[in-house]
Amino acid sequence: MASTKAQISRRNFVKAMAAVSAGSAFALAGCGSQRAGGSSKSANGDFTITFAQASDPRGLDPAMVDDGESAMVMVQVYENLLQYEDDSCAVKPGLAESYEVSDDGLTYTFKIRTGVKYHDGTDFNAAAAKASIERQLEPQRTEDMPYAAFTFGSEADGNGIASIDAPDDTTLVIKLRAASTAFLANLAMCMASPIVSPTAAEGGKLNESPVGTGPYKFVSWTKNSDIKLERNEDYWDKDNAGKAKNIVFRFIAESASRVTALANGEADIISGIDEAVVSQVENNGDKVYKTDGMNINYLAFNTQSEIFKTADARKAFAKAVNVQELVDSLYNGYATYANSVMPLWMAPYDSDIQQAQYDPDAAKSELAALGITKVKCITYSVSRPYNGKGGTALAESVQGYLSKVGVDMTIDQFDWTSYKDAVQAGNYDVCFYGWNGDNGDPDNFMNLLSVDDTAMNVARYSNDEYKALIAKGLSTPAGSERDDVYHQCEQIVAEDQVWLPISHSQNLLGHKANVEGYVYHPTAVVFLRNCTKSA
Amino acid sequence: MLRYVIKRVLQAIPVLLGLSIVVFLIMRVFSADPASVVLGEHATQEQMQAWREANGLTASIVVQYLNFLGSALRGDLGTSYYTHTSVTTEIMSRFPATVELAIVAIIVASVLGIVLGVLAAVHKGSFVDGLSTFVALVGVSMPIFWSGVLMIILFAGTLHVLPSGGRIDPLLAPVGGTGLFILDTLLSGDFEALGNALQHIVLPALALSLYSMAIITRMTRSSMLETLGEDYVRTARAKGLPKGSVDRHHALRNAMLPVTTVIGLQFGSLLGGALLTETVFAWPGIGKYVVDSILKSDFPVVQGTVLLIGVIFVVINLIVDIVYAYLDPRIKYSQEEG
Repeated sequence: MASTKAQISRRNFVKAMAAVSAGSAFALAGCGSQRAGGSSKSANGDFTITFAQASDPRGLDPAMVDDGESAMVMVQVYENLLQYEDDSCAVKPGLAESYEVSDDGLTYTFKIRTGVKYHDGTDFNAAAAKASIERQLEPQRTEDMPYAAFTFGSEADGNGIASIDAPDDTTLVIKLRAASTAFLANLAMCMASPIVSPTAAEGGKLNESPVGTGPYKFVSWTKNSDIKLERNEDYWDKDNAGKAKNIVFRFIAESASRVTALANGEADIISGIDEAVVSQVENNGDKVYKTDGMNINYLAFNTQSEIFKTADARKAFAKAVNVQELVDSLYNGYATYANSVMPLWMAPYDSDIQQAQYDPDAAKSELAALGITKVKCITYSVSRPYNGKGGTALAESVQGYLSKVGVDMTIDQFDWTSYKDAVQAGNYDVCFYGWNGDNGDPDNFMNLLSVDDTAMNVARYSNDEYKALIAKGLSTPAGSERDDVYHQCEQIVAEDQVWLPISHSQNLLGHKANVEGYVYHPTAVVFLRNCTKSA
Repeated sequence: MLRYVIKRVLQAIPVLLGLSIVVFLIMRVFSADPASVVLGEHATQEQMQAWREANGLTASIVVQYLNFLGSALRGDLGTSYYTHTSVTTEIMSRFPATVELAIVAIIVASVLGIVLGVLAAVHKGSFVDGLSTFVALVGVSMPIFWSGVLMIILFAGTLHVLPSGGRIDPLLAPVGGTGLFILDTLLSGDFEALGNALQHIVLPALALSLYSMAIITRMTRSSMLETLGEDYVRTARAKGLPKGSVDRHHALRNAMLPVTTVIGLQFGSLLGGALLTETVFAWPGIGKYVVDSILKSDFPVVQGTVLLIGVIFVVINLIVDIVYAYLDPRIKYSQEEG
């Protein structure tokens, strides 16, 4: 009897499984006939913009993150005391209506905007702005705030914020330890500087549930999948309130999959694409938007290696490489030849900088005379924002030029994390590296060669004259005198041939033809508040 | 039976301990320094050292392991270095996606694999047998990143009949519930969302099931052929029972034992996350997450996730063994046998 019951039970089990399978298959087949997508599901006549990027944000608390994916979401939710112009890194008023700088460059007095509320209903005022910055100052600062020291300085380095006060609701006074012209640009950055709700910050959930004053409010975050934002209907700046009702960020790791999602109507805008997929995007009837990036892709000579201690040796190497030809052939028009460390749109005064000219015959004889026949090179295996083709392809291109002048360049490649360790170890003659600008200030590029930290100064370059110029540039007010300082810095870098500047890459976005109005800023974030989508 | 289960659970402890030690050592020996990943481009050596000290990475490796083990035993898998979020929270926010995809994929693979395998065995040497062998060969040979991309290009990129990736239109996603969208939308009666979730799971489930289906087909076919050659099957036929009845009731049930093992193991491996499928179809599961975490040297996440996957394998194996007894009444898990 027990056996019979068991048999019936097993039979029923099998039947149930079959029914579930058949039902699933039916449902799947039925659904298959529907049009895919739905990214623009309308509600009350409004529309949704779906933005696809490669990965989740690291977090959404501006104090705790340093990645572009986080920035892309945060700039829709938070605002800063100052903000950048749409097409440059010149600053303009944001949550601060105006500001004054004392003659000694040490005291900044901000007039705080009134009538602004955070998304959680908390009033924005000078005290709230103070709290947002103060939590990143010593001694409150924690060791895992990646941008705090860069943005707000440190006591040990004798720079940054010495004190911050909010004498009344509309006045914020910041005193610096040392004058810094870059400070205003820092305040407009999408890392560290965005002003967060003090109530939410105290709650400790800001990294998962951001609360700012921006045109969009955070709704939800499904890890590895999507983030949803909705329009802030109470936004203080009615002329610049969000156009779309919802913004959805989707995370699609593969570049080719993002292109397909765009073609299939599952995304309206996609980021993180390179020239390899441009024709595919355009063949699908979608558009590619490109703009000059704020970056530099370079080869660094290890100035402490035996063979590249002298500028003559470094120049001889540089003469062997036809950088213009290399950039044209490797990047197919999606990167521009780097005449200087800073892109020319940032520093037009650098157009007359003279790099070593390509001269393989001279290179061959000079390298032979110096006894340089072997060069040890390290590089990264992945693509980087300043080098879409990856470090290996770039290194192999340079290797080809060197072989023509009788030099054997060995290449060791690493994944990015291991590569940074290898660079720190310093066991190389040349390495490939790059830099993405943070704030558009010349100091942000040029001081890379003045610091002692070898994680930044990978050439291990040390020049007192250069360091003095960098210090002078930082405290000199913006204008022709400051421009002249950085022009001198560029000339020193070229004359000493510390780097072989290679290229400035362009920033690319793919979007549907009916999408417009977004702002793709040089800092590589996209402001979506004015983005519209026609039917 | 209860004693058997308890014994198996106790046996799992050294397995999981060994696993945790291996993962712990591998991450520390072969991974890059997490400080530079976590603190980013602007970090100085002093800041990195302060971070290492704050996160206990300057202690001896034995102390580090004991700290990890002590916390894990209390149910605390630590906090992600990179996102500052609890590892348990990070895992649980992704695990339902992996479970849902694994369940659908194993159902598809099992149903198709068993049907194809049985047909191939019963009609050995026929066209159906050849077709089954061909399908199994394709399933085993074709990597998912290839078959998946082909499916996306055809159904999403060209025909525009299915979405290319994701679990559901984010604006339709159910809030709360089990995290299994098909179940949640079904229970809430939101059929628009249910249809959308089903649309999204078709391609990844098919792509993911191909390999498992191929394995199940081959195992079913060979097991069935072996069983069909047994004396009791010949006897049943000699008694005059209809062929279909003999195939189903006498041969298939007995042939199912090894197939059950295969299905169990395949399901276990699917629950461990399907890196390639998740990457190609932007499926938000734990497979891709753990690989990303390895690349970021996010030790707590890797350790926690691998432990979870280890526990899953142990549990699935246990369930398979228990199902054995259910399918074959001759098997008893008595104390003596154990």
